[in-house]
Amino acid sequence: MKQPFQLDVHTIEIDDVRLGESTGVSDGNLTVSVDEVSKIVLEDHRIAAVDVEIVRPGESARIVHCLDAAEPRAKIGEGSVFPGFLADMETVGTGETVRLAGVSVLTSSRYPQPFSGLLQAREAVVDMSGPTAAYSPFSRIQNVVLAMTPNPDIENEDYDDAVRRATLKVAEFIGNRGAGAGYDSTDRFDFSESNPELPNVAYFYQLQGQGNMADTYLYGRVIHNLVPTLIHPGEVMDGAIVSGVYVYSCYKNPTYLHQNNPIIWELQARHGRDLNFVGVIINRGHNYTQEDKERSSHWAAKLAGMLEADGVVLTAEGGGNSAIDMMLACQYMEQAGIKTTVISSEAAGADGYDFPLFYTVPEADAIVSIGSEDEIVAMPEVERVVGDEHLLDGETPAKGPFDLKMYFQYCGTNQLGGNVLTGKVF
Amino acid sequence: MIRVVHYINQFFAGIGGEDKADAPFEVREGAVGPGRALDMAFDGEAEIVRTLVCGDNEFHADPEGNLEAILAAIAETAPDLVLAGPAFNAGRYGLACAAVCAAVSEDLGIPAVTGVFPEAPAVDMYRTRIVMVETGNSAAGMKAAVERLAAVGLELAGGEGLKPAAEDGRIPMGYRANSVIETPVATRALDMLMAKLNGEEFVSEVELPEQAEPVPPAPAITDLSTAKVALITEGGLVPEGNPDRIESSSATRWARYPITMLAKNDDPAFKSVHAGYDSRWVNEDPNRLVPLDAALALEEEGVIGSLHEYFYVTTGNGTTVTHAERMGTEIAKQLIADGVQAAILTST
Repeated sequence: MKQPFQLDVHTIEIDDVRLGESTGVSDGNLTVSVDEVSKIVLEDHRIAAVDVEIVRPGESARIVHCLDAAEPRAKIGEGSVFPGFLADMETVGTGETVRLAGVSVLTSSRYPQPFSGLLQAREAVVDMSGPTAAYSPFSRIQNVVLAMTPNPDIENEDYDDAVRRATLKVAEFIGNRGAGAGYDSTDRFDFSESNPELPNVAYFYQLQGQGNMADTYLYGRVIHNLVPTLIHPGEVMDGAIVSGVYVYSCYKNPTYLHQNNPIIWELQARHGRDLNFVGVIINRGHNYTQEDKERSSHWAAKLAGMLEADGVVLTAEGGGNSAIDMMLACQYMEQAGIKTTVISSEAAGADGYDFPLFYTVPEADAIVSIGSEDEIVAMPEVERVVGDEHLLDGETPAKGPFDLKMYFQYCGTNQLGGNVLTGKVF
Repeated sequence: MIRVVHYINQFFAGIGGEDKADAPFEVREGAVGPGRALDMAFDGEAEIVRTLVCGDNEFHADPEGNLEAILAAIAETAPDLVLAGPAFNAGRYGLACAAVCAAVSEDLGIPAVTGVFPEAPAVDMYRTRIVMVETGNSAAGMKAAVERLAAVGLELAGGEGLKPAAEDGRIPMGYRANSVIETPVATRALDMLMAKLNGEEFVSEVELPEQAEPVPPAPAITDLSTAKVALITEGGLVPEGNPDRIESSSATRWARYPITMLAKNDDPAFKSVHAGYDSRWVNEDPNRLVPLDAALALEEEGVIGSLHEYFYVTTGNGTTVTHAERMGTEIAKQLIADGVQAAILTST
């Protein structure tokens, strides 16, 4: 793909995070100032209070009510991160971006008003040590947790916007403060050269767009009427895609994993080595009607053809509804002679005896499993809880022990490939 | 030290072959025959404290009586683990080993493992109930079989739980579960895609099912004006308080409620407990999910003969196929019993 995009992503590896007087990075250590961060969060009157806590891998700790997470990022020179939220509507994905790797800004909160129906923020748990740490990728990085309390008088939708902006602002603030430290590595996102000897591979990147609490933002806007379109991988690296999906946390794609989309990183690493990375097709999942699903998936297959893709990797977000959109896209791509691999979670029931997929097409003959969302996990007692003393039911002590459905394990079956689970025959 | 009881037949106990297959049940202390190889394979972590021997014909002549004696001999030893066989492709011996393992694990709650050839008769009968390692089809495969039996036995007795069937060398029990994997998802996905593009072999991590047989629709109603019509929904519409505790997702229950109650829609009012769609509008007006207003008008106009006095409801949201099929069958039987000829199903 010939285009003006060239982005250098500089990585600063963060070994440890601590609280201190002034936010900054030194010798791989990130210091976070509670005062500086709290001031940024509380400048929004919709948030009544915030606790800033550091939660580390290996700790006997549990984070509850997790909402979004973001990686600290900053631009060097021209440009911005999180366009449409923190910056104007300008195209991102060029120039130089700094990332503080191994650390997240992770928000935790209840919502001010009671919810009903599908569209609500459900429980989302991260365990930082022991066997249950395998159920969240955030157990393997340092987390700067913003445990927030809403202003009780505002509507949930309004508070949701406040939470998202706070997450992004703090991620940008910490990114800016750290950006001056030495880089450990630099990766170039430039796919303008391709090798005719290698196969062309595109990425079908389905985003959830179902309504407030189940929305993904593209340049700050919801994607409800999106027809499949193209986005440059560099734009994704600069935060063009932001998550607001909280319905079932095991298959949520948080902003952190959009910024670090593992499929995009892998394609970037393999570009010019065994494939040409020819483009990213974003698609709205959860189309409401069969006609809308057919229209979207045909359109996505057409775009893959226009990119001259020989093969496509497909990911989705959410459960059965979104699986149909993705499977149809797989079907129409295969029928157009484009080979596919589908990444899917499994739902074979709590005992695992049922057939594990919601919807299949005969063409989906290459499926990568990211694990079962039906399993029930015994959560042990932990020493420290962050976010709340109780789960969202208001009764279960967050310290544990308790049994927790996979649905509520934060990114346990993350469909971008962020976690380490897979479904196997036993 | 993990204490193990081992079950074998007359042949492996050195009593004799087919001519001694009626050898009675007996108890020997310590390891016998393949048990000695198992003791070696345990490498100091476990030890066979008792060996139970029974002739193949004798076991099947009185399986209940023999199992009772076998369980008693195991219970008084209170072992941490019971192993049986390996029985390879032997029919009667394999079935006896499997029956012993099933009784031990289900009645005594002690982990039990046997080893059989994948095509042995015991596999079809017991694969979902007991843990079986895969062996060759004859005792020529004894060394490998004993090593697997010991390894899986130690895994279970040590409380680690099973590994995926392929890693354990076990015969799959028919269920899928989560497992931690080292190779990242993205790498696996692209490796699989590259193999597919290059025409090389690849293995999908989920096998597609046989495509489901289409369900033939019932014959058309010849005269709708005399038909009794029922309303059915998977939209989770229940009286407030959800008296039948229909799950908001992964439902296992269905219920039916009088349409007069829904028409009143007050004390209790109806609400959707479905957690898979935005139910605000349904909660405001349940007719938008269960079209009772329109159906009553059609009844009034004589377009349909009559409306069935109940509407039927469950939640269709992550429901497993097994429960969906069962609930569908149960509802259909009830409808037929009530003389219903047609149904309108509204989905979400």
